[in-house]
Amino acid sequence: MIINILLVIDFVMLAVVISGYIFASMRERKLLSQEADQSLELQQKVYQAQVLKEISERIGYSLDTNKIVDIITSSLGNLLEYDTVAYMVIEDGGKALFKCHVENSVTHDFIEQVKEKMIMSYAAILDKRIEAQSTDESITGNILDDNLKVQVESFFNLPVVISGKLVGIINVASSEKGRFGEEQASILYTITNQAATAVSKLQSVLESEKGKLSAIIYSLADGVIMVDTDNQLLVSNPVVREILEINQQAAGQQAIEKPLTMFDIVDGLAGKVDIRTKIEQAMAEDKVITIPEVLLKDKAVELAVSPVKDNSGAIIGASVLFHDITSEKSLEKLRQEFTAMMVHELRAPLTALRWTSEAMLKSLNDPAQRLEPLKVKENAENIHTASANMLELVNDLLDVAKIEAGKFELNIQENDLADLINEQSKIFKPQAEQKHLALNVTANGKFMLKFDKVRIAQVLNNLISNAIKYTDSGQVDVSLKTDDPSKTAVVSIKDTGLGVAREDLNQLFSKFKQLRSVDRARKGTGLGLVVSKGIIETHGGKIWAESEGENLGSTFYFSLPL
Amino acid sequence: MAKILVAEDDKLISGSLCEALKNAGYESHAALDGEEAVAKAKEVAPDLMLLDIMMPKLDGISVLWELKANPATAKIPVIVLTNIGDVDTISKIVEAGAVDYLLKSDQSVDDILRKVKEVLERTVRLV
Repeated sequence: MIINILLVIDFVMLAVVISGYIFASMRERKLLSQEADQSLELQQKVYQAQVLKEISERIGYSLDTNKIVDIITSSLGNLLEYDTVAYMVIEDGGKALFKCHVENSVTHDFIEQVKEKMIMSYAAILDKRIEAQSTDESITGNILDDNLKVQVESFFNLPVVISGKLVGIINVASSEKGRFGEEQASILYTITNQAATAVSKLQSVLESEKGKLSAIIYSLADGVIMVDTDNQLLVSNPVVREILEINQQAAGQQAIEKPLTMFDIVDGLAGKVDIRTKIEQAMAEDKVITIPEVLLKDKAVELAVSPVKDNSGAIIGASVLFHDITSEKSLEKLRQEFTAMMVHELRAPLTALRWTSEAMLKSLNDPAQRLEPLKVKENAENIHTASANMLELVNDLLDVAKIEAGKFELNIQENDLADLINEQSKIFKPQAEQKHLALNVTANGKFMLKFDKVRIAQVLNNLISNAIKYTDSGQVDVSLKTDDPSKTAVVSIKDTGLGVAREDLNQLFSKFKQLRSVDRARKGTGLGLVVSKGIIETHGGKIWAESEGENLGSTFYFSLPL
Repeated sequence: MAKILVAEDDKLISGSLCEALKNAGYESHAALDGEEAVAKAKEVAPDLMLLDIMMPKLDGISVLWELKANPATAKIPVIVLTNIGDVDTISKIVEAGAVDYLLKSDQSVDDILRKVKEVLERTVRLV
């Protein structure tokens, strides 16, 4: 795309060609009258200045070698007298480009001679045989007339060197002997030199812009590639390799930095997206094509294929943006699971309420289905339990919503924490006894502290009931201590139950994650812990859990500032 | 007397259903988790099964696949009773071979009894 262009004019060749003329032309000039000579020189200089101005204006911001050479050669007419001016480029693959402008009619043979001289010069500079495999020719200007008796009698070649590499040769030829001298060569030299200076300045500006651009592309969090209209990869950044897992070396192995090709991209997306077709479509229809969700091995990616245009609005390729949406997707999945769970949990008690009350209504309306008084009592109890479960859940949900909205309010007063712990533990004695668990409480004396009694009771209830729920044998120990360094009161609830896998400990208090591991046999949505965390943190305290691992029991702690 | 197996972990729901089935003249059996459901299906050989999806130990979808895999239980018609009505779950239920699915909270017990009767009649005719 952006070619490094530097025009360096190598005068070695030129010197060989023109050295013979130098002395002759100097001697001739002396014979001319001084006046005439001066006026001619002045005229030439004016022309030269005009041509230079014209060239720099026309070159503008172009970095296209062919265009620049075209501009230079087409400007020569005012300064030099010649029959043909030609430009030849031989690409690495051997493909030759030959452009010739015919100022005065010459023969085909004349053109062939020019071409031959240029190839010879090319070969001499590169010091190797040149065999142009195919030639892309364009001859413009006057018509060719093979009836003319013209030969190349004088010429000179001017090599064009870009970044130390020969990219082409300019040739000026005439059928007149001794047409070109030092002066003419120097005019052409000045012009090309001027063009080279303009190009170098432009190039350095572009280089720095390009540097900024590559730095941006390189550091993008999204993968980016750009292809030209022939589907050749022009630009790519490291994220593309990461996303498509191309050349990802195993740890400890040397990185294989094979340049990325379009084949790698197509392979990386094989079976998921026909990226080539999408690129062609984007270019053909001149619109951005998005592919919202491409599922790769362990990633989800969103692709955006956009046509790329140049200044004039012509489409010169397409870019593809790879946006990794894996984490968004997994969060989305968690949200869906959470919603499904909530829907289920809210509908279950409603179903029980509906069906039980239906049965009771039926028994009232239909004597054949009359219920025994014991059955009526059982149904009423069921309705009570279902509505209590529902209420608990709705309250938890409302609390979570308040906590998340930062609108959780506390009624803080001076209370006795030891007393509260003893009081709440007492409530759970029957449950513990029913499961043959020992419920030991160590909270003696008065322990005055500022907290919301109702809310801390809620936390204690939640933690103690969980401990009993998840313990099938052994004991539950509730204790209260002061931690002097942190100036806090620490309450711990230790059980000998199921325990928690180490990697799950941090996720216990998260709204979404907790729900994944819900043990349905023991009921509960896990929202209790989320609410407890909110309550404790609003008090300025901390809540955490420790466990040696699964089936090794767990201890839940919370601290309140003294 | 047709035998109906009710696989449902919520005791209140299970109780209401079994009671209603009994009153309607069926022999009802209850399973409170997925594993029990599979075991009871083999043991009782019910004429029809009412199956919940969210259950401990083994979820309803897995129960369906296990029933299908065993020739002794593969032919038991299963009506799924669920409270999760998302498309994903429904398609999994259908794929796993349930004859029908009902959203629990949308149905009265009578609706379910009607559906049970309908499926049983259809199955008898097929046999």
